[in-house]
Amino acid sequence: MIVERIVSETKDQFPIGMRVLAVDDDPTCLLLLETLLRRCQYHVTTTSLAVTALKMLRENKNRFDLVISDVHMPDMDGFKLLELVGLEMDLPVIMLSANGDTKLVMKGITHGACDYLLKPVRIEELKNIWQHVVRRKKFDRKDQNNSDSQNKPHAGSGEAAGIGMLITV
Amino acid sequence: MERNPMRRQLQVMRKSLFDQGYLDEQFVQLEELQDDANPNFVEEVVTLYFRDSARLILNIEQALERKPFDFNKLDGYMHQFKGSSSSIGAKRVKAESTLFREYCKSGNGEGCMRTFQQLKKEYATLRKKLEAYFQVARQAGPMETACRPK
Repeated sequence: MIVERIVSETKDQFPIGMRVLAVDDDPTCLLLLETLLRRCQYHVTTTSLAVTALKMLRENKNRFDLVISDVHMPDMDGFKLLELVGLEMDLPVIMLSANGDTKLVMKGITHGACDYLLKPVRIEELKNIWQHVVRRKKFDRKDQNNSDSQNKPHAGSGEAAGIGMLITV
Repeated sequence: MERNPMRRQLQVMRKSLFDQGYLDEQFVQLEELQDDANPNFVEEVVTLYFRDSARLILNIEQALERKPFDFNKLDGYMHQFKGSSSSIGAKRVKAESTLFREYCKSGNGEGCMRTFQQLKKEYATLRKKLEAYFQVARQAGPMETACRPK
């Protein structure tokens, strides 16, 4: 499990090298996001297509620690991607949008986003996103040990998100 | 006091872009990402922006030629254009985008067309000013990197 590896091997280094998959169909936004993430010393993979992102994740879900994706994409609704990633891979997903409408943010939360960031994203916000990886893994482990809190995977993610959610407006 | 005349000119141009509201704080964020490893980052992003957003402008233009207006589609294009524009700190362009989207939401076709004309003007002006700015920047040589607040 990733947390074990993080704790035992890279305790001193994490979140340096945290593996992020960044998805945005807008090339300007994607270039900026990639540069910001690299400045945070994360390991970044980018794609402008949600279907490509899904393909990469399905090929090997252990290749990434976190996904950060735009909401508004032509080939697939960002919320759809969010749902699928949550269901199939149980990876933390951060939504990104130029639209801070409460309804949309709410939609992000209910679809399982662990954070919802407004564009243009600031580096200060990205510097903290690693917390979602650690938080989620810890919560998942507690879940396995505690038979009472049998949350549906989706609701579970929602709750984990609820605990530590930063809605940056 | 900046001794190099080109650098002084550059600083004057830069200050004017901010003072006149063409650029906002986001542009400074871009400058802070520019370093020895990425020495032309700002120009790169801005160039990419103008190249890519030209496509969106064209889409909107074409959509405005089809009556009745598909406000959802127009809003969609402008949403993306706004996101892109805000990424480089294009303050005035962003403001026009917001206005355009409000007209889309209220189904005001006249408002959309008027705002779009204004937006294109601001966009063209910004492009010219930034092209001139980068031209001087290239001649002035590498600037000291902005101090990043810890």
